[in-house]
Amino acid sequence: MTPRAAAVWGALVLLPAVVHNAYFLNGMILVFIYGTAAQAWNLLGGYGGQLSFGHVVFFGTGAYTSTLLLSMAGVSPWIGMWAGAALATLLSFVVGYPTFRLRRHYFALATLALAEMVRILVLNWPLAGAAVGLYLPLRLMNRPWAMLWNTKPPYYLLSLALFAVACGLVLVTDRTRLGLYLRTIDQDEDAAAALGISGRRYKLLAMGLSAALTALAGTLFAQYVLYIDPSTVLDPSRSVLFAIMALLGGRGTVVGPAAGAAFLTLLSQYAGGALGGLGRGYDYVLYGLAIMVVAVYEPRGLVGVLERLRPRPRPLPGAPAGAAAPSSVPSPDGALPPASATRAPGDPQPPLLEVAGLSKRFGGLEALRDVTLTVRRGEIVGVLGPNGAGKSTLFDCVTGFLAPSRGAVVLRRNGDRRILTGRAPFWIAQQGLARTFQLIRVFPGLTALENLLAGQEHDGEPLLSVFRASPPAVFEQAGTLLRLTGLEAVRDTPAGQLSYGQQKLLGLAMALVRRPRLALLDEPVAGVNLTVIERLKDHIRAQHAQGVTFLIIEHNIEVLMELADRLYFLAEGRVITDGPPRAIQRNEEVLSLYYGR
Amino acid sequence: MELLLTASVDGLVMGLVYALVSLGLGLIWGVMDVINFAHAEYVMLAMYATFFAGQWLRLDPLQALPLVALLGFGAGVATYAVLIRRIVGASMVTQIFATFGLLFFLRYAAFAVFGPNFRGITWGAAAGSVAIAGIPVSAAKVIAGIAALATFAVLHVFLQRTKVGKALQATAQNPTAALALGIEVERMYMLAWGLSIATAGVAGVFLLPFYQVSPAVGDAFLLITFASVVLGGFGSLLGPLLGGVAIGLIEGIAGTMISPTFKLVFVFAVFLLVLFVRPGGLLGRDPA
Repeated sequence: MTPRAAAVWGALVLLPAVVHNAYFLNGMILVFIYGTAAQAWNLLGGYGGQLSFGHVVFFGTGAYTSTLLLSMAGVSPWIGMWAGAALATLLSFVVGYPTFRLRRHYFALATLALAEMVRILVLNWPLAGAAVGLYLPLRLMNRPWAMLWNTKPPYYLLSLALFAVACGLVLVTDRTRLGLYLRTIDQDEDAAAALGISGRRYKLLAMGLSAALTALAGTLFAQYVLYIDPSTVLDPSRSVLFAIMALLGGRGTVVGPAAGAAFLTLLSQYAGGALGGLGRGYDYVLYGLAIMVVAVYEPRGLVGVLERLRPRPRPLPGAPAGAAAPSSVPSPDGALPPASATRAPGDPQPPLLEVAGLSKRFGGLEALRDVTLTVRRGEIVGVLGPNGAGKSTLFDCVTGFLAPSRGAVVLRRNGDRRILTGRAPFWIAQQGLARTFQLIRVFPGLTALENLLAGQEHDGEPLLSVFRASPPAVFEQAGTLLRLTGLEAVRDTPAGQLSYGQQKLLGLAMALVRRPRLALLDEPVAGVNLTVIERLKDHIRAQHAQGVTFLIIEHNIEVLMELADRLYFLAEGRVITDGPPRAIQRNEEVLSLYYGR
Repeated sequence: MELLLTASVDGLVMGLVYALVSLGLGLIWGVMDVINFAHAEYVMLAMYATFFAGQWLRLDPLQALPLVALLGFGAGVATYAVLIRRIVGASMVTQIFATFGLLFFLRYAAFAVFGPNFRGITWGAAAGSVAIAGIPVSAAKVIAGIAALATFAVLHVFLQRTKVGKALQATAQNPTAALALGIEVERMYMLAWGLSIATAGVAGVFLLPFYQVSPAVGDAFLLITFASVVLGGFGSLLGPLLGGVAIGLIEGIAGTMISPTFKLVFVFAVFLLVLFVRPGGLLGRDPA
């Protein structure tokens, strides 16, 4: 914690000892409660890019669960709050699980629908007070176990503590792998999956935490205002309030939502007479306007405006001390022994990837017809063929981005056979298959280094480990790759600002951070100049020497001649022939199909 | 059995109205892949326009129809020019926020101007009821259903038979290629917004005779129309039509046979279920 942050938090703790104005303390308590909800929303909507417009349902779940448990079963809210959080998490999965694989508006819609359903149900549920609402048992006033007091300071400290937890959780997210992964998912979920990052896993994690945190805020709100009904704790416009607090302050930042909550809550408390006091919703007219203006002109909110005025590089996501300057020796701790060391002439390596009878139809078009090919360990295999031959479709089918109509893809890993067909892209990537895309897909908003960190090994990554920074070995490997690709100077530059050639190099390096068993490169040298081509070739050779097997689609035949051990020639979705590069180059059919001779 | 039939007929008619409201939403969704969260708010505004056209100009809904549809078209064009044009290439997050902000702005602006009261009209020509399959249905609802079908027919002919309609379809399929062929994509988007909000205007005109308007009336339609479009699937006019009718039937039957209070709960449950099972809708493709 910086001295300034420590001073702010210290001052907040000591505040009620100095200030006794109940109206002011009331405002601060609401800032902390709403600020917690705004941070919770931020975790999912800000970092993960999943916009919830029904977050009030988790707020209400917390409020109703703890209140019902207290008034009906005498369960202390200290326990009831956790029951509410658990229930909210469960509820969040009901919406999140089916919609997280769809495009984002479906999630936004589903949260709206859920909030509306729950509101109607509670409104007509006599046990929960229906439309009349519930009073907290006032006879338990000033019993700490019942979390009820008739003075403000206990609520102040309690809500401050919860707010601190929320801010801490967002800070941890921002500085660790969790935030990194969520940002990759926000920016390009397919590209994240190609690196082995499971979109659904981290979205559900963020969603569960977000729902639980919002529910805790809901319990505290109920305990504080002593009365709940559907038009307060299930009011749809509260969902918008949480979102606008995060958005206005700056979504995807630690300070933004906290500042947004303080600003809007205190504004409505002190200027409420001028705006909302007319009872005509002028404040919401302004909120609506503000949302539009922020969305159009500065999606990063107030934090974005400040950053524009005073640019400052964002801190590295948890760079361990010393890791920023990686050693100059490439670390030799590869997962596989270098293939060249084990390869004896005339002794064919075992197959690594087997594609058998793969077909893919798009309606009437047969993009792949009965494609069978094998890549052996330690090989560099090229795929050549005219445009529309089905090369990229082949890659998409192998890596799970497309489901083949027929056929199988099998990866051999140390003796066991893994069937890749029908699996999700992130799972296939975790088996050791890396891929690059024909059109560059780096994460434009992440720095070059962060892009590389996103490419670390995700196979067997424990869920809790994402709350920590990447291990030093990953930083070292990323540093090595930055040096090899000549991207050291742009380490902290957002990838979207790099040149085409630099993005191409970065895209290749990202796929290789985790030292994949097999790297599938889709036109790695297309559209770059000769210097970059040389650099890319060197890079591929160096990685090959380290034990990576390659399958490369390329139109630049010179490059394939130099690099590849074998070539497959594809045309009209079929394997026409395969063999050593020289033989393919002289093949009559290839000449007529590819060169038009 | 009689009850079920009544519920079905009523649900069918209401479903046609939902289809009409969904039509404009699905149009923009299909043409430019933007979801207009504020669509139902334009229906609300059209209902107010119809109300005041009667109050001040002594126009009955049929006479007000051209005026309101035209206003709707203008509002759609203006919305595109002022807001949507700036977010066409932006991230989905930005697009969702922008139209959600628009929803709030329009709803609470209406609240500020018109107040919270419900307002309705009585339309003498549509009073009473009509018998469909021996079941009496409110004449105003039947007229709304017929207007919905007529709007679908007009739009279908426009999209299939006119050059501009085909250009609009081309833009929907591939804006870059359309641009390369000399289609002014910006103007097509503007046209789509004009048409979309004009159909919202038509919906508002025919809703008012049997549905009272208040600033929050959009709430009732927002999720129902989304559910209709998702359920039907997009890419064709048939999607929203089928989806709207399906939602109307579910609401009508569940509301009558099970519980009127919870009819919307059933509708939303079906919506979530569709997302689970067949997110591409009855006709559409998988939007994953």
